[in-house]
Amino acid sequence: MSYYFCIVGTRDQPLFELEFGTSKQGGDGIARFSQEARHMNPFIVHSSLDFVDEMQWTNNQMYLKRVDQFASSHISTFLTPTSTRFMLLHLPHPPNTAPQSTASPNSFPPFTPYTSTPASTTTGSRSSSSSSTSIPNNPTSPQTEEAIRAFFGEVFEVWIKAIMSPFGSVEGKLGSPVFRQRVVAAGKKYL
Amino acid sequence: MTPSSAYGHGSPSETPQPQPPEHTLRSPRESPSASVPDFVTNTRSSSFSAKSVLSSPESRLPLTPAKSSLSKSRSPSDSRSQSGDRSSVSIRDTSPSVPVNDGNEEHRQIIIRSFAPRVAVYASEDTNKLVGQKGFAGGLHTLLRPYGERLQSRVIIRDSVGGSKGFDDFGVRFIDCHELQRASIGDSDGANADQEARVLLNGAQYGYEKPNNARLSENGTAIDQLLNHYLRAEDSTSIDRGGNYVDHDGRSNGARSTYSPLYPIYLRKLLSGSSLVPYETFSHPVACIIAVSSHHPAPIEALRQLYASTGHGSNKTPAWVGTEYLRYYVLIHDEENDDITKSTALFDLMKRHFGLHCHLLRLRTSQCVQTDDDSTKVPVCEWLSAEEEIGLLRSRDYTNEFENSERYIFESDASAIKALLREMISQSIVPFMESRVITWNDQVASRRRGISGRFMSLSKRWAGFGSNKGAASGLSGASNASGSNYDYQMGFYPPETPEATMRQLGDYAFMLRDWKLAHSTYDFLRTDFSHDKAWSYHAAANEMVAITSLLVPQTYNSKHKFEAIDQILDTAAYSYLTRCSMPSSVVRCFTLAIELLKNRGTIAADDAARWGGKLLEYGVLDPIAQALTSERIAECYMSRTVLNVPTVGSRRRQAALWNILAADSWVKLDNPIQARLRFEEANVLYQHEHQQNAGPSFPSMQAFWGDLARSLRIVDLDGPQSLVGYGDFGGHLEFSTLGETEHLSAFTRPGGSDKSDIEGFTPQDAGRPNSGFSDRSDGFE
Repeated sequence: MSYYFCIVGTRDQPLFELEFGTSKQGGDGIARFSQEARHMNPFIVHSSLDFVDEMQWTNNQMYLKRVDQFASSHISTFLTPTSTRFMLLHLPHPPNTAPQSTASPNSFPPFTPYTSTPASTTTGSRSSSSSSTSIPNNPTSPQTEEAIRAFFGEVFEVWIKAIMSPFGSVEGKLGSPVFRQRVVAAGKKYL
Repeated sequence: MTPSSAYGHGSPSETPQPQPPEHTLRSPRESPSASVPDFVTNTRSSSFSAKSVLSSPESRLPLTPAKSSLSKSRSPSDSRSQSGDRSSVSIRDTSPSVPVNDGNEEHRQIIIRSFAPRVAVYASEDTNKLVGQKGFAGGLHTLLRPYGERLQSRVIIRDSVGGSKGFDDFGVRFIDCHELQRASIGDSDGANADQEARVLLNGAQYGYEKPNNARLSENGTAIDQLLNHYLRAEDSTSIDRGGNYVDHDGRSNGARSTYSPLYPIYLRKLLSGSSLVPYETFSHPVACIIAVSSHHPAPIEALRQLYASTGHGSNKTPAWVGTEYLRYYVLIHDEENDDITKSTALFDLMKRHFGLHCHLLRLRTSQCVQTDDDSTKVPVCEWLSAEEEIGLLRSRDYTNEFENSERYIFESDASAIKALLREMISQSIVPFMESRVITWNDQVASRRRGISGRFMSLSKRWAGFGSNKGAASGLSGASNASGSNYDYQMGFYPPETPEATMRQLGDYAFMLRDWKLAHSTYDFLRTDFSHDKAWSYHAAANEMVAITSLLVPQTYNSKHKFEAIDQILDTAAYSYLTRCSMPSSVVRCFTLAIELLKNRGTIAADDAARWGGKLLEYGVLDPIAQALTSERIAECYMSRTVLNVPTVGSRRRQAALWNILAADSWVKLDNPIQARLRFEEANVLYQHEHQQNAGPSFPSMQAFWGDLARSLRIVDLDGPQSLVGYGDFGGHLEFSTLGETEHLSAFTRPGGSDKSDIEGFTPQDAGRPNSGFSDRSDGFE
């Protein structure tokens, strides 16, 4: 599983961006997005803000769980009380191997690298019963959901500390290397 | 408003302003007078060329089609000023208050009209010779076909509950009897029968190559080729040729929505390319015309022989096509050479022999040319399949186009043919179908639906299990091992079995637009089919359940209902793809679902977009279809978005994303014009949120964005039309490229220069459109 994590401010501006890979099942924590996917990720995350904006009025939880899916990328969201949004895009694939793309003539470009990964069948309900419930393989399983919740919880804590800095603002970019380190650690710990 | 369009929900365009009389709203062929449409088609083409001439000086470039039509639809005065063909201007021009018309209703009409009854034509030799003298070398069906597609009179249809409705857009498709026979060749031939059986035996085998399927995918590429042709035709200055051709029904050109001018054509081609298959009976003949001319020495015998060839005995039709369709006898009288009294006597004899389904068609034999006094143009076929149209275009390229493309017949002949069709459809075919529906509904469907029917099918199934042992010991036939009617060896239900009959009932009801009956029938069937593991039938029934439930006019749109449809569509796709490997059917199924869902309003538009995403994900679409589908998805999201008004549930960012994807696809397809339109659209959507900045708000998005912009600008500079109509465009580009370079260091990405980093995108895409474009411009000059 590869992750793209982004903190989005209230005016849809990104405050913090990070890519990392899974550390479970012997993963080395390196993101393995293909070039195409890497370029699409911000677009996908940005577009799923639409769903977050809609859901925030109907859901009183801070953790909104999985809000959107684009091809086999899933997007989970955590909404802070100040309407800053933590967006996590996760793309399932076996650890330590890049999702290989088979060049089929009819595949749609941004979907190409994903559709060939065996773990990601499009019918989520069907795959959850058949494939393993481990975090790296199944983005819809409750285990993944819980792991992401824990990750978001920890990031939230760190984030509160970071924005309490008198030299920054809630809407400012989070450039602190310590913050980045902490987020990476949280990712290593839970995902 | 006419009943057929009264189903529509999304017709705000028709309400606001004072309307001209009703018939001007509808397309020209539906106007009551029979002689008008031919005149109209005539004037329309000429007026269109006038329009294109008018519009080209203002920007004199290939870019104009979409662009100019856009402005046209916004300014009604423009279209009204060319009032010579006022009646041929399409629906949209009368509704200038809604600038963006995304063609919901139009697409729904296309879908409904595409499921029209098929009528096979069996003509005797001398008939074809007579028609050939008139310049229709393909036989009688080529003469009848254009008229059958647009019947000028209203057809009244009674539905199963006794209500009757009139439809103005009812039509039939004429097919040649040879098409039926071609399908049967594989059936009757010993060597091929095995192969054919393998094709249809989808329950046991997975993932094999289907010959049938190969043909279908070929069909898909045919659509692709054709769309490509249209795109090039739009690009090139010879728009008149392509445009004239596009303008089959006077809609596509008169006013184009801002989106996807090509999409209706794509939809039409997708739907008209349906082939003869066992698992659905839409392409099976509902009736056949048996025609003989007055030249024949022994007409009654000839009719008898032709009649015999329509049945099963002669092996002319595949085994899975039911033979209980209507036979309609036509005597063609040669006005110029034969005696009418003789023909009338013969006709009386025919009536005595064959009953009431007879008609005397009086035609003149000589070929008509444009300069003749009462010449009238033969309308263009709207529902040509993609292959046929490509063939036509090719032949047109070789010969003088006006000689070939425009055919004329005498006014009297045209009205005679129209009278024949009117009589045949409203007095024979529709009543025949109605009575069939009633009979089957009474005798087959309600018996199966009732409690005893359920019990019977259950007991049959149990008995099947019992006889399974018998089959194992060789006592019972292999084909009926499980007690179902499904022929596992050949892979179809014989047409006289209740399952096949009910499928036909559903299809008849569908073609008669009785959605409710069709829905309940299909819904009942799909469980049966899944019990029998008849997967292609199962998939097709599921597809139709979803489609009919979307077609049933509903006063409310519940979330629950759409969830049910989700599941059904999922099942259909799974059966089509995994169990039967028929990707083109999935394309049809999902495309219809997207259109109909979109037609259902804003809640469903989300679902429509989701299904569109899924369709793209399956990777079964042709490149152009991919671009069109992503445009369509963007449009689905756009329909929920109001610019400059922040609303809950707006889908502005999704729409922007899909516009970008569409632009990217167009760039890859060498089509800078479409790409630029989509790119601009996305730009507007992104800009709205970021007043001060151009482009998307995430700095990490700028790389892709700038790249896209650059590849478009390169085209822009090299193309003949640089800097026209895009004055504000350069500014964004400058900015976005700046923003990109500025950002390159900021975002985490592996090393490498900009160009090589965006591999798979920049190098060939920056180069390709460029070269493609210069090629093309060479072509014109």
